[in-house]
Amino acid sequence: MADSLTPQCTPLKHEYDTCFNAWFEGYLEPAVAASSSPEKRSEYSKQKADEFQQKCGNVWRSYRECVQNALKEKGLDALLQQAREEHPLAEPPVVTNEPSNKS
Amino acid sequence: MHFFSQSHNYEHPWSHVVIGMWRKYPNPKCSHVISVDVVDRSVDPETGIIRTERILGCKQKAPAWIVKIFGGSEDAFVREISFVDPSTQDATITSVNLSLSQFASCYEQIRYHPSSSHRTSFSQTAEIQARMALWRSAADGLEKWLVQRFEQNAQLGKLAFTDVLRTLREERQRTIS
Repeated sequence: MADSLTPQCTPLKHEYDTCFNAWFEGYLEPAVAASSSPEKRSEYSKQKADEFQQKCGNVWRSYRECVQNALKEKGLDALLQQAREEHPLAEPPVVTNEPSNKS
Repeated sequence: MHFFSQSHNYEHPWSHVVIGMWRKYPNPKCSHVISVDVVDRSVDPETGIIRTERILGCKQKAPAWIVKIFGGSEDAFVREISFVDPSTQDATITSVNLSLSQFASCYEQIRYHPSSSHRTSFSQTAEIQARMALWRSAADGLEKWLVQRFEQNAQLGKLAFTDVLRTLREERQRTIS
């Protein structure tokens, strides 16, 4: 696993990444299957979002606090704030499906 | 302004590629990426879309004249926002440089989408542009260097990710059997 931007946050980062990866690997394929209907999709999404909070919420809070301090120390927090204002990217980009060149 | 684009197919199902996305670094083929941090992540309880914001730290040796004029250091940071949508099977990743952002902008978009049940299409575009009214030659030189760096890293990234996906598949097959 990659390191964090400061060594003191690396153990928390690894713990968080491990938690997320384990949750995500169980999440993805059933999520694709559940998308067959909007009701199934929102039921599954809500259940899994709650589960993620329960499993990884605590380590996330510790890790996030560590990283936020590290960003301040490195003088990156203002830069990040500016970047977020310039490109909020709150929604996924619109994807255009090109016509396929199937022969 | 320089545009870059490439596309490629990975011989893996989409879900495997998206799981592999989080395991790409550290990577010997991409030794310039030295840190990765998640600064924000949310799972939408309605749509199931996962939005992740990350900061990647890179070490890239810039020519001395660039460091002198633009006051850069060896450490370059990139902000990356990704969306994983299981209902459309789209993973989109947008990256913008944080460092040197007042001088130049490198805006990259990547998309992973199934092209079949066992194949995933990858498409990548980037716009690289020097900002500010700089001396034209300095701006052009900076832009050219960024483009060269970007093209090289894009090639390495593709090779590196191919390795990661293969290793991950072997790992997962061993766990199953």
